[in-house]
Amino acid sequence: MTEYIKLIDLTKCTGCRACQVACKNWNDLPAESTGFTGSLQNPADLSYNTWCLIRFDEIQNGSGMNWIMRHDACMHCEWPACVKACPSPGALVRTDTGAVVHDPNYCIGCKACTAACPFDIPRYSAEQEKIAKCTLCYDRITDGRKPACVTACPTGCLTFGSKAEMLSKADARAAEVQGVVYPRNPKYRTNVLYIMPRAIDVAQLQHTNPNPKMPTTILWWKNLFKPFTLIGMGAVAGAAMLHYMVRGPHEPHGPEKKEGGE
Amino acid sequence: MNVSRRGFLKLAGGTLAAAGIGASVGVKSAHARPSKIRYAREVPTVCPYCAVGCGIIAHVSNGKVINTEGDPDHPINRGSLCSKGSALYQIPNNDKRLSKVLYRAPGSDRWEVKSWDWALDKIARNIKDARDKGFVRTNAKGQVVNRVENIASLGGAGLDNEEVYSLVKFKRALGLVYLEHQARI
Repeated sequence: MTEYIKLIDLTKCTGCRACQVACKNWNDLPAESTGFTGSLQNPADLSYNTWCLIRFDEIQNGSGMNWIMRHDACMHCEWPACVKACPSPGALVRTDTGAVVHDPNYCIGCKACTAACPFDIPRYSAEQEKIAKCTLCYDRITDGRKPACVTACPTGCLTFGSKAEMLSKADARAAEVQGVVYPRNPKYRTNVLYIMPRAIDVAQLQHTNPNPKMPTTILWWKNLFKPFTLIGMGAVAGAAMLHYMVRGPHEPHGPEKKEGGE
Repeated sequence: MNVSRRGFLKLAGGTLAAAGIGASVGVKSAHARPSKIRYAREVPTVCPYCAVGCGIIAHVSNGKVINTEGDPDHPINRGSLCSKGSALYQIPNNDKRLSKVLYRAPGSDRWEVKSWDWALDKIARNIKDARDKGFVRTNAKGQVVNRVENIASLGGAGLDNEEVYSLVKFKRALGLVYLEHQARI
């Protein structure tokens, strides 16, 4: 199956939040009780029941202000730290469509992914004892549909297509608006790309990571300590069996003393 | 079952070895979940909210609306929707939706539950009485006009093309001249 990319053109976002509602609609996520925080951003943060959120940033720009609306959801990394950190096989999987999918049936609620994710996307629910995040509507794209957020977007800010097509489109659009493609990092590729308008520093926006990378602790743990531990455990068990076969059973009280002859 | 110390060690060693092999084999692809609308019937409809009149597909399964989304083939919205239209699913699936006819008599302060038959008869009676009272056969110049001036009709964006056509036919037949629609743009 082809890999897909979701392209988010921030020069076209009007902050209408159709994607946010469409996400809740498709994934049957309940509404949250929220209050006014001084911003149009509502709810204030992603959660177990909010997988997609429009973030509103007000950035001083000399005498004026840049008002940035940003569609924030899972970035669907090519080498996802959440999948690497996940100890439960099948709970977090990167599929061949490029979507990183969580499966609540296998999730054990250990929260390793929430600590590993460079974008702080997976959210834990203490009630459900599981995590949840955007799945890039894996069940829709395998049916030949676009993700719910892309289908709903009225301005053409969100577009979805095959990887090659979207990469060239992103470069062309970034050149057109003199912006940058984020995160277009050869060391950390994602299946969700932003076109940041010019004069916007990614680091100034809330909830972004200008230099996303796999946490080093995860690499040490998963690539070194875990295999060595498994080898060590196997070696101990093997040695115990070998000892049994070569030396025979261990006598708790030592060899019985022979009774001396009369 | 009696497990000796040695038996336990052997068992544990075997289990650990098996666990090690199991942990080294990762899952490569997720079990493809069929989408909830794969086998649903698609019913095209029009968004009831504003005057734009976006096309919406309602996915129906077992007589229930299970999903709504923008109609990609609709010339007005081409599949996109605003945040309000995206939430249309909760109109048919809502505990607070009225399921009975409620009637408040003139001057009354409470709602009464009535049957559909009663309500339709009541509406027909009121239209007939009002039309009989306000029917104008000729105008001041003596020209035949055959019009009803004391009933007005107000349509809404929830009406689609065909419904509006038949409603206007019906109202013109009654002689109405005050025909208005919320979606006048």
